[in-house]
Amino acid sequence: MNIFKDVLAELFSMFVADARLTASILATVSVAALLVGATRLPPLAGGAFLLLGCIAVLFLSVRREAMRRAKAK
Amino acid sequence: MLEWSTAGPAVGAAFLASLVEVVEAFTIVLVVATLRGWKPAVMGTCAALCVLTAIVVILGPLLEQVPLHLLQLVIGVLLLLFGIGWLRKAALRAGGVIPLHDEDAIFARETAGLTAEVARQKTSQDWIAGIAAFKAVLLEGLEVIFIVIAVSAGRGLLWPASLGALAACALVLVIGAFAHRPLARVPENTLKFSVGVMLSAFGVFWTGEGLGVDWPGHDLALFVFAVLLLMAGLIAARIVRRPGKELAG
Repeated sequence: MNIFKDVLAELFSMFVADARLTASILATVSVAALLVGATRLPPLAGGAFLLLGCIAVLFLSVRREAMRRAKAK
Repeated sequence: MLEWSTAGPAVGAAFLASLVEVVEAFTIVLVVATLRGWKPAVMGTCAALCVLTAIVVILGPLLEQVPLHLLQLVIGVLLLLFGIGWLRKAALRAGGVIPLHDEDAIFARETAGLTAEVARQKTSQDWIAGIAAFKAVLLEGLEVIFIVIAVSAGRGLLWPASLGALAACALVLVIGAFAHRPLARVPENTLKFSVGVMLSAFGVFWTGEGLGVDWPGHDLALFVFAVLLLMAGLIAARIVRRPGKELAG
């Protein structure tokens, strides 16, 4: 049972290492999906939003974690 | 005929990601072998490899039943979650915000942990050691399986990507057999940085395709995404770098 629990915990941590990062990525994908599926914009606009959104999420997440750790010291 | 512009990134990502995971699993297997001999280490490793093989055999045909666009979207999103998570951690390590992964320290910690566990338990000591090797190989192997399936999904690249992963296993085993110590000199954070970039690039690509985006240049778009994500990761690491902390492997 311990091994099974460890496997589930490992699978969870693979995709949800940081809850805010996960939520931000899912929000970015959702907006990109809306741009592609629910607007008259060309699908590539949704693709560009996805790429730039992911880069922005990465930047903000790294910066936030660095600031959090600096404050904690 | 296999096109290298298509297969190259998948094989490369599978090889590098597997290298990182196998080095981590090897450290634990070596702890077991050092404390209790090679028999429980090999038994635990083989048992885990059997479970992993069973997962691939069961999961592989099931994935073929899923419609391509849905598969691309689901795997793309999972790759984004996994890849950007790795890239974030690698950038934080490169910036000196969190400590680098140290295989020697992990070896010492796991040795102490397993020694205490063996002393505490009344069951067979070899059995406990074998379970430790089993768990390490199973948990790291699950990540390898996910990466291999994710980067090859919907492209018929499962075999080339699997060969990339197997080559990484063989390389670590050969070097490990000669060195007979944790592979602490592997530039793990550089590898994690590269893998995070590649998995994130695949994630953007697959998610976009799953949503119906027709990327200009098709597979070549992957390289553009990888370059942009690499630059973003390096700039993020530079911005948060602590004074006196070096960018290291």
